[in-house]
Amino acid sequence: MSYIVPIGPYHPALEEPIHAKLYTEGEIIKDAEVFVGYNHRGIEKLATERNAIQTLVLVERVCGICSHSHAFTYAMCVEAINGLEVPKRGQYIRVITAELERLHSHFLWLGIACHIIGHDSMFMHIWDERELVMDLLEKMTGNRVNYAMVTVGGARRDVDDELRRELLASCPKLKAILDRIAEIAMTDKTIAMRTKGVGVLTKEDALRMGAVGPHARASGVDIDVRRDSPYSSYEDFKFKVHTVDSGDVYARVLVRVLECYESIKIISQALENLPEGPINLGNKLIKIKEGQAVCRHEAPRGQLSHMVVGDGGFNNHRVSIHVPSYKNTPTVPHMLRGNTVADAGLIIASIDPCFSCLDR
Amino acid sequence: MQEYKRIDIDKEQIVPLAERMHRQGRQLVMIHGFINGDGQLDISYDYAVEPVIEGYHVVGETVLPSIGDIYDTAATWPERELNELFAVEFEGLDTSKRLFLPEDMLETQGRGQIMVMPLKELVEKNLGGEDK
Repeated sequence: MSYIVPIGPYHPALEEPIHAKLYTEGEIIKDAEVFVGYNHRGIEKLATERNAIQTLVLVERVCGICSHSHAFTYAMCVEAINGLEVPKRGQYIRVITAELERLHSHFLWLGIACHIIGHDSMFMHIWDERELVMDLLEKMTGNRVNYAMVTVGGARRDVDDELRRELLASCPKLKAILDRIAEIAMTDKTIAMRTKGVGVLTKEDALRMGAVGPHARASGVDIDVRRDSPYSSYEDFKFKVHTVDSGDVYARVLVRVLECYESIKIISQALENLPEGPINLGNKLIKIKEGQAVCRHEAPRGQLSHMVVGDGGFNNHRVSIHVPSYKNTPTVPHMLRGNTVADAGLIIASIDPCFSCLDR
Repeated sequence: MQEYKRIDIDKEQIVPLAERMHRQGRQLVMIHGFINGDGQLDISYDYAVEPVIEGYHVVGETVLPSIGDIYDTAATWPERELNELFAVEFEGLDTSKRLFLPEDMLETQGRGQIMVMPLKELVEKNLGGEDK
């Protein structure tokens, strides 16, 4: 018997506003479509009426999880247009915040994935441990979300020596937490049975559809903007780009767990070698010169790109924001085909979607 | 600092360029659009030629060939977005369904004005000047 099963945009199986239409034969999904645009806020349009400082505040509101990534990428665009060189210390502070953000984002996703497969004790354990990362972010930035750590020309807040030592001392604790999570993720039968062979995306399909971030790396695509087009001193840090070839939900779990280890390594290196000097260029409101820049940042979910066009005035002439979910969401119907209806929620969630980000 | 290299092309070069980039395994970062200082539409095809982004710009054209056959959804989603926001037509692109804008947008307000019209005019048009 054929059915069309509508899921979302508001549904218990989904944490985000997306509408998925599943064309099924019995339990099996034969085809699927996804529809977005339920949270379009016109942020790009609003940005044309804002100056650079106001836009930093605005673009941080694109996403509550990767807010720093948006301010970071927008600031890089304005700095590129105006030819501003961010002081090294400011670059390192941006990187530390970005990697802490990646840790909390990956922990958040791992918890949600466990919740969806019914492993609620693991969900609560991971979210409990995530609080350490949130506390570190709060100590460093003053906020649990929307950190406001970026200004055009550098960072807004310094990391003093006491905080530096405290953050450094937290790295072994974070690693111990991650060891426990990794052990459970790699040995637990429930996780393996619900995720292995589910929602497969082959390397060829990932490349064809332009998938990015951990989602692409879990299909064997070896891309990472931090390594391929270094920015903000990422070339100073030693870290690995992990790929897994199986392309299923299990691979997406593994890649994200392994990436957390690399983030801890980067944070440790940045704190140990934190350069002396100013953190920014003076925090002034500047005119955005006539010109255009496109900058990319490896956000927790993948490659985030901003395009900024300046016309010589204080306000942006155009800001265009494209988040990783923009690239990864079109792969969802492809991954759903051939799977059961029961796995649909997990497969949609496996790209670590942020549809509010996507809609802007 | 990441480098962005601007290169101007004609619309006839869009498809051969996409084919060449695809053969070389280059990622299509995004297709961007904006109205330039002369009031003309500027569409840029931004490819990652690591570590640089090469932006191939087509200026003053409102009908362009789709590269969806080459870059699949990595191209068709930006093309559909540009169609909604700037009313650019992409030959061969299915625009029967909306992407980001409300479902009644296409019938009641048409395509394009949201990014072309200044915000103040847009507010006046949509709210009749009641909520400025």
